[in-house]
Amino acid sequence: MLTKSQAKAFFLGGTALCGVAFLLLTLDTLAQMPARSNQDAMSEEVVRGHMIWNKNNCMGCHTILGEGAYYAPELTQVVERRGKEWIAAFLEDPESFYPGRRKMIKYDFYDPAIVGAEEAARNKADTIAFLEWVGNIDTNGFPAEPDLVQGAATQEIDPTKLEGAPEMFRNICFGCHQVGGQGGNVGPALDGVSERFEEDYLRQWIADPQAVKPGTTMPKFPMDEATLDAIVQYLQTL
Amino acid sequence: MQPTIQYKTQKIAYWFFAACMLLFALQLIYGFILGFARMGYDGLHEWIPFNVARATHTNLLVVWLLTGFMGAAYFIIPEESERELWMPKLAWVQLVSLLLVGVVAIVGYHVNWWEGRKFLEIPRELDWLVVVNVLTFLLIIFMTIWKGKRKTTTAMVLFFGLLSAALLYLPGMITFENLTFDSFFRWWVVHLWVEGVWELIMGAILSFLLIKLTGIDREVIEKWLYVIVGFTFLSGILGTGHHYYFTGTPRYWLMIGGIFSALEPLAFLGMAIYALAMARRGGRKAPNRIALMWTLGCAVMSFVGAGFLGFAHTLPQVNIWTHGTLVTAMHGHLAFWGAYAMIVLAMISYAMPELTGRSMFKGWKAEWAFWTTNIGMLGMTGAFAVMGVAQVYLERKGGMDFLEVQESLEVHAFGLVLAAALLTLGVVLFIKNFLEYGLPVEVDSSSNSSGGGSVLATPQRPQED
Repeated sequence: MLTKSQAKAFFLGGTALCGVAFLLLTLDTLAQMPARSNQDAMSEEVVRGHMIWNKNNCMGCHTILGEGAYYAPELTQVVERRGKEWIAAFLEDPESFYPGRRKMIKYDFYDPAIVGAEEAARNKADTIAFLEWVGNIDTNGFPAEPDLVQGAATQEIDPTKLEGAPEMFRNICFGCHQVGGQGGNVGPALDGVSERFEEDYLRQWIADPQAVKPGTTMPKFPMDEATLDAIVQYLQTL
Repeated sequence: MQPTIQYKTQKIAYWFFAACMLLFALQLIYGFILGFARMGYDGLHEWIPFNVARATHTNLLVVWLLTGFMGAAYFIIPEESERELWMPKLAWVQLVSLLLVGVVAIVGYHVNWWEGRKFLEIPRELDWLVVVNVLTFLLIIFMTIWKGKRKTTTAMVLFFGLLSAALLYLPGMITFENLTFDSFFRWWVVHLWVEGVWELIMGAILSFLLIKLTGIDREVIEKWLYVIVGFTFLSGILGTGHHYYFTGTPRYWLMIGGIFSALEPLAFLGMAIYALAMARRGGRKAPNRIALMWTLGCAVMSFVGAGFLGFAHTLPQVNIWTHGTLVTAMHGHLAFWGAYAMIVLAMISYAMPELTGRSMFKGWKAEWAFWTTNIGMLGMTGAFAVMGVAQVYLERKGGMDFLEVQESLEVHAFGLVLAAALLTLGVVLFIKNFLEYGLPVEVDSSSNSSGGGSVLATPQRPQED
């Protein structure tokens, strides 16, 4: 029968063995992590962005590398998903993007009216640089591509459809809508949109979505007439 | 009625337990803020946004559990060492300063003064005060054991659990510019606490309670204590690997973390079998049945929450989908409840009659508190499970937009809040019962030499191995 001293030896021996193994693996991991995380590409902007991330407890809502609070989206590959311009516009006034829905704190340091254009632009650029750097970390395949999507798997990706799109469309609209099998998955895909809606309707819709359909999740973006024209013209080609 | 504690300095534990009750109640309030936000009612967003409520909720948990562990140590160590606490006045200073640091930290969170690192949000300046505070606590415990008449295994396991917990706080205080290093060492604290050294503390408290409540020979219980904590460390140390799957760490962690995490439930299963077997073998009726219910409940629920549900999402093939979803919240809630909240509540249930000399455990409140809290927490776990699994399939596997999915889960958040209300009812009953015990009574040390702190109805009989 097991004696108390044998039990003690089992505890101390097992702990020591596993402890040593853990320390050795830690040394090897620490040696590999700079390369796996592209530490060379960690510019001053990235580090400042990391500090903004920490100082404001962004992972108290979001997750990054899957770590955080599951209340707001996973941001590991957000730059790839939304694009830099979309994120910059979003940070300035998050609620205008999702009116009446789950809220993000509006931070003064992103608002040119409060901290000045230069400072706001710098903070946005730092944040985006940090997120872009995180997106390039070798995460052993996280987050995995959705594997139950039938539609997306069968639709051919056709990058030519994006040719001729105005810059505003590529930077903002594309973050939520798909064209030619690429783009965001928040709003409906825009392929064939000209067959479904009249030109005038599209113009009114984009200019003020809430006026056309109260309660819609489509945000209203400030844009001049020329940009609006260009986007509507482009939609006619789809 | 005379209290049955033998050493008058043990009554300091009462004030630690009282602080526990207060912080626990506060934790629940912040939990409701989070629950309502998930239902879509985020009216407090301007004043207490989600990240503030979340940091407050988790930090209050950690602080009340640590306060409970400290109270347990101040209660257990004099009995195990057979002497009064060393410098009891210092223990008072330690309690007050701990609460002060806690309050400052939590107020700080509300004005954006924190570090955005999950579970370790306390700002660096306050970290140092925490270190000083914990060192003071450890010094009191160490000196008491050192000067004591005997050094029991239970006391030593408890002390080394507390000491290791203090040492493992330090890696979390290093600043890294590289996020992957930050994350790597954050888990040294968080994982090696809850799936490592905290289990030493839990095992030691469990062993103390089993010795007192079942009357089984100390040597038998302490022998199995070594086996259980042995299995814990055998699986738990390398089990840290399940946090190193997808955070910029090498691929071999998928294998190591996967295998050793799969062993972790065995340690918890061992703990549950050990507690149940000891209670059966003891075979005698401790009058404080509620303390035994919490003790055995803790052993069983920690297996379900930490062991079984932990296993349910630490296999790498599963974790690639569940990592960073509400599945984690499902596991986290029942694990912390079963393993750590319940052991502290078991300790309080055991200690209160000893401290106050009143047997309030006989009333209906104590029993209802046990069942409603546990059923409520199981209900919450179920709600989180539904939300987590739905999130995995709709968002992660189906590619739907995050916010669309979250809005479709609001109805389940309502279920979560309902279950939380049941849990809260139980906690209110527990606290009410706690208050009805009244304050600890002065110990007349001359008339109390035979009590032994035991609530056994009959004297001990010899036990076979």
